[in-house]
Amino acid sequence: MGDDIKYKDLKKKLEERNRSLKERIVTKHKEAFDWAQNNTKQLAAGAMGGLLLIASPASNFLPKTTDNTNNTQFIDLPENMFVVSDVKKYLPDEVSELLPQQEEKISEVLTNYYGFKVLPDINGLRLNRTYGYIGLEQHLKRYPGDTIGEHFQTDFEANQYKSSGMAPGLGGFGYFAKSKSEMTQKDIDREKYYIAVQTFLAPNFLEKKKEYINFFKYKKMLVVNPNNGRAVVVVIGDAGPAVWTGKQLGGSPEVMSHLQRVDGRDKGAVLYFFIDDPEDKIPLGPVMPIDNSH
Amino acid sequence: MDTHFFSHLIEIETLETEIDGFELPDAQKEEIKQLVHESIYHNVLDAILSELNEEDKKVFLSHLVSDDREEIWGFVNKKVLFIEEKIKKAAEDIKKELHEDIKGSV
Repeated sequence: MGDDIKYKDLKKKLEERNRSLKERIVTKHKEAFDWAQNNTKQLAAGAMGGLLLIASPASNFLPKTTDNTNNTQFIDLPENMFVVSDVKKYLPDEVSELLPQQEEKISEVLTNYYGFKVLPDINGLRLNRTYGYIGLEQHLKRYPGDTIGEHFQTDFEANQYKSSGMAPGLGGFGYFAKSKSEMTQKDIDREKYYIAVQTFLAPNFLEKKKEYINFFKYKKMLVVNPNNGRAVVVVIGDAGPAVWTGKQLGGSPEVMSHLQRVDGRDKGAVLYFFIDDPEDKIPLGPVMPIDNSH
Repeated sequence: MDTHFFSHLIEIETLETEIDGFELPDAQKEEIKQLVHESIYHNVLDAILSELNEEDKKVFLSHLVSDDREEIWGFVNKKVLFIEEKIKKAAEDIKKELHEDIKGSV
């Protein structure tokens, strides 16, 4: 057998062994790993980034010069762990406003990972926060006469998201389309992937109200769960939630589902930054990091 | 070199020497070593977690995340009898299997 074939054979064998060890550990100790992944109260945000080290020990045995950590080393539980571990470095222990330096670093990290420009503000216009607790919103009426029964494009979507119900009133920017016949896929996606943000708490909101309302309407944002690295491109589709709720933003059922965030006692935090997309080229919906050596 | 909290208990040089003896480019040797180390690590981690109840597993993972070795050792020593021996055994068991993999391939 040639050296190259021998090497490939051995590598394959070791990779298979390793995969089966990881599967075994994740299955046997599922409750503990689920806890570590989901528990954002006992473990600081980004704790799974710490578990990344647990799950990829090779660099700790080997000299640093040989560290070629890659995705194959991860236990399968957390996704996008590089995002998690890189963002974690700049997050405070408590969910709170980020300092400008933290926002700058995080926007650099996210821009680098997702391949489009992610910013805490655009031309000086911004929200009061970029890191806060997210709650669950209901579906919004997209056109006059829209009902929950007609709201979904597939049975799967209906089964998954119907139970969240439809808000009795309209979103902060009114209907997404004038009528059902005029509704486009873009309108559908905007409602599907919308967030509600505290527009009314934006810096100098009252002085710049008109400018802000035009700016916020369907403005694209990137929302990232810093505990699992899941991210989704959304639009601002509504205003809220009220300050007394203790939450800083709300997500549509589809957004919350993708981020794996829930409302209530177990609510969790997300990062939410503007996307600079003047030509409207970036599609709405779940987004994965681009492959640029990560 | 940075190590794991249990690295001082594990003899890894024999396997490394074996891999170093292969007629392979250094990068490929390092790749093989990395996979070997990873397997050892996971087997040891599984062995430790298997000795703990569900609540203790969570505490252990918390300590592991913070990488506070004093806390980790204090905790596992309190919770598991002869933990060092069990770690060594888990490492030796997987090393035997890895030796077999290596012998059978190169």
